[in-house]
Amino acid sequence: MSCELVERDLDAYLDRELDAAASTAVREHVRTCAACRRQFARRETLSRLVRGAPYYSAPDRLRARVLAQSSQSHSVRRVLAWAAAAVLVLSVGAGMTLWRAASMRGDVIAAEVVNSHVRSLMANHLFDVQSTDLHTVKPWFLGKLDFSPPVVDLATSGFPLVGGRLDYVGGRPVAALVYQRQKHTINVFVSPAGGDPSTDNVVSTVRGFNLLHWIHNGMSFWAVSDLNSAELGEFATALQAS
Amino acid sequence: MRPRLFEETVLPHLDAAFNYARWLTRNDTDAEDVVQDACVRAIRFFSSLRNDDARAWLFTIVRNAWYSRVSRKANVAEGTRLNDGQDEWPDNALDPEERLLQQHTIALVRAALEQLPVDFREVIVLREIEGLSYKEIAEVAGVPVGTVMSRLARARERLQTILKLNAPRETLR
Repeated sequence: MSCELVERDLDAYLDRELDAAASTAVREHVRTCAACRRQFARRETLSRLVRGAPYYSAPDRLRARVLAQSSQSHSVRRVLAWAAAAVLVLSVGAGMTLWRAASMRGDVIAAEVVNSHVRSLMANHLFDVQSTDLHTVKPWFLGKLDFSPPVVDLATSGFPLVGGRLDYVGGRPVAALVYQRQKHTINVFVSPAGGDPSTDNVVSTVRGFNLLHWIHNGMSFWAVSDLNSAELGEFATALQAS
Repeated sequence: MRPRLFEETVLPHLDAAFNYARWLTRNDTDAEDVVQDACVRAIRFFSSLRNDDARAWLFTIVRNAWYSRVSRKANVAEGTRLNDGQDEWPDNALDPEERLLQQHTIALVRAALEQLPVDFREVIVLREIEGLSYKEIAEVAGVPVGTVMSRLARARERLQTILKLNAPRETLR
């Protein structure tokens, strides 16, 4: 691969938009070419700097005004929302991984997981225990759950642990672990899995949130965030490798 | 399954919508007006949200609301208005000197972003800060994926120049 081609593909490579073969070609070239490696490093520095740029949160008065407007059109909206829900139910694919009971479908759980995620952010109830120290977070769950959730800090992979709380998903108490990536929050819901000891990742998107579900060592994991699916995948890989 | 409500579906993305509008307009008052307009439209057209990607859907509406405002005002000219410097994110774990350095860097990055043409600034914010894919950015901005790619590459080159990352001795780390 020539420097010109690498220059053309470098952004797509860094943004994880290249296919596997092209990614390998870029990686191989960058390994041996000092000039491209410098450009690569500049791009990475820039990306880090830009991600540190201010994040402007919506002012409370704006949120209040929007809420007032939306409740004005409440009755009309309710009818429309039912129609939209019907579309959602029809469009969610079959064949998703089951949670615990065979009757409990994955898409129902996915919707519950997203609801819990949104609630935790909106109601300002993200933590019962706020700590970046896993030796504080892990014991906190003792006696509150009939299982011991695996708690790891992934700060070295760029996903620091920030706390945990008790939540309810699928009609049972689960451990919710909270991780951070820049300004994005990741909630991970952990509970014992009923059936398979391990499954592969199942990816889905609900209402603009990305979800990843997998079972590992008999524990069921649901990771949910507004983080893009590539970075959420990176997070899951880091968590599974720990 | 419970019905999807505007409050549950769209409102969780209000911060993201405001952040996007704030970078488009570069000031708080205009950003608030744009997001307010956008939410009125989003409430009205909520039933047209067919797919599950409420965030990208809301971004598209924010962009349309912003665009109709600037074309109404016929004021697409790019000012260089800078910010009052209130919204920085100092990290309290750093010592005072490091914190000052970090604030300085944040101010430089913000000034660099604000002097980019809005088409460039937009792709940077949607990609780097909001983490949208090329396809999603193309849908929000209403341009082909190829245009997103070339804008991103040119925007990054320009930022590297403004921030002096292309100089032999790099000043920002």
